[in-house]
Amino acid sequence: EQVQLDPSAASDKKIILLPCKNPPSQERVHLWLEARKQYESLQKGR
Amino acid sequence: MTTLTRQDLNFGQVVADILCEFLEVAIHLILYVREVYPSGIFQKRKKYNVPVQMSCHPELNQYIQDTLHCVKPLIEKNDAEKVVVVIMDKEHHPVERFVFEISQPTLLSIRFLLLFKNHSDTLLSHVEQLLRAFILKISVCDAVLNNNPPGCSFTVLVHTRDAATRNMEKVQVIKDFPWIVADEQEVHMQEPRLIPLKTMTSDIVKMQLYVEERAQKT
Repeated sequence: EQVQLDPSAASDKKIILLPCKNPPSQERVHLWLEARKQYESLQKGR
Repeated sequence: MTTLTRQDLNFGQVVADILCEFLEVAIHLILYVREVYPSGIFQKRKKYNVPVQMSCHPELNQYIQDTLHCVKPLIEKNDAEKVVVVIMDKEHHPVERFVFEISQPTLLSIRFLLLFKNHSDTLLSHVEQLLRAFILKISVCDAVLNNNPPGCSFTVLVHTRDAATRNMEKVQVIKDFPWIVADEQEVHMQEPRLIPLKTMTSDIVKMQLYVEERAQKT
């Protein structure tokens, strides 16, 4: 026995989405922060 | 009483602008308060007339902006039921979920239209005042939450309907920021503890924020 699906109901089902890309990692942000600190101290030393 | 739809008034766009601006501030603040990123990347700013912490890391800021650009068309069409900021441990299992549950009126009365036309500044200032309370609640939420394990990351989930995804297809391509359906691992949380933070009811939007926290974080 075949069950027929209602196409409108199927297309209106609840879903949960998320971005495929990841945000920058903690390590990457730490490196950026260190580089910025070094840059700022160099600027101050000039 | 005669009623107008949201589309007639372009109300969706007004609400989406307000909410996305608010969500941007809220996401930055959550990442700061929950120590997802080092505090050194955050700077004190004033939003909604209260001090907040906003990231100055260009890549992170762009990521948050791109995320909200894609969510905006869903909010505009009243197709975003929940926007969730999920903090995940090293194994990519959720440890905390900040759930923004959004509900918008589908029909607006003529009386309200006239009121909005003549007193939009007052009404929007009232909404801003309500949103300020959310920001203040987020800024002190660490007092009611347990510490997160080291090395956490985050993502943003949006609860919508399959048919609504076409509203965000164009912006995904423009921004080169594709979205996918979440896996069970990204959604499921074992024995979550529910902490209600704030609820607001205004003429243009209703919203509640609560946190779901995993019982065992480590």
